[in-house]
Amino acid sequence: MHFIFSDEVVLLFNFWNVHSPTGMALSVLVVLLMAVLYEGIKVGKVKLLYQALASLPTPTHQQQFIEETDGESIGSDLLPDSRTRLRWFLCHFGQSLIHVAQVVIGYFMMLAVMSYNTWIFLGVVLGSAVGYYLAYPLLSMA
Amino acid sequence: MDSSHHTGMSHMDHNTTVSHAHGGHDSMMMPMTFYFGFKNVELLFSGLVINTAGEMAGAFVAVFLLAMFYEGLKIARESLLRKSQVSIRYNSMPVPGPNGTILMETHKTVGQQMLSFPHLLQTVLHIIQVVISYFLMLIFMTYNGYLCIAVAAGAGTGYFLFSWKKAVVVDITEHCH
Repeated sequence: MHFIFSDEVVLLFNFWNVHSPTGMALSVLVVLLMAVLYEGIKVGKVKLLYQALASLPTPTHQQQFIEETDGESIGSDLLPDSRTRLRWFLCHFGQSLIHVAQVVIGYFMMLAVMSYNTWIFLGVVLGSAVGYYLAYPLLSMA
Repeated sequence: MDSSHHTGMSHMDHNTTVSHAHGGHDSMMMPMTFYFGFKNVELLFSGLVINTAGEMAGAFVAVFLLAMFYEGLKIARESLLRKSQVSIRYNSMPVPGPNGTILMETHKTVGQQMLSFPHLLQTVLHIIQVVISYFLMLIFMTYNGYLCIAVAAGAGTGYFLFSWKKAVVVDITEHCH
């Protein structure tokens, strides 16, 4: 098994059958966008967490969040409001869904590279580079 | 071939001669697209072949639990690392600030001793984490739809359950999960 330059590949699904240079260019573009999305999801997950923490009701309690290790659970005495607990639950559930999307896209990218097609591999690498370049400055933004 | 083979393996009639002649060489039969099925699914090890729906259900549960365990192991390693930070060094250095003033910028370094028990434990857990992550990759590589869904669902559930408490303690410098 080795990398080959070829215009024919079957990627991930039975219907994704590429025979022509145009199809290959389109497939490389799709894989590139998938890699950009993956990097974006990684940053988006962290920003969502920051937003959720920032929207908590009392800033003094937020300090305690940052300093405590894992002795207390979140619902013990810092969030007595059940509505806030529900909001936190929904936010965490949303984060878990984003995590599932991140895992699935990551595995799809791994399987795409496993096709051993050099163009697809270059698409994944370039997409990761572009995605990182675009997304990570957003991490340090407030 | 013989009746003895026929009574034992009724599922793999057309495979009997092949596997008997070549001793299990079947790298050409690896699927390269997603499919849903539970007949003759090889899972990681040569003796582990799924042939019935019941076995597939069992494999689904096992893979689900493995993915959940992987997420939990990640979180556990992080919290263990935080708890075992031994030395904290503060370095202060002057940097030019706005309006020509001199500000003191403080860098905080946390470290671990190399031969301490927490570091050895972290190393062992790291090896386990790497092995499990490769197993999950190989499971996803079987291209079996049920097993892939099990990996994704297990990862999501594990993240949901174990990151609940971890989400409370946020380290600003970590962003590569």
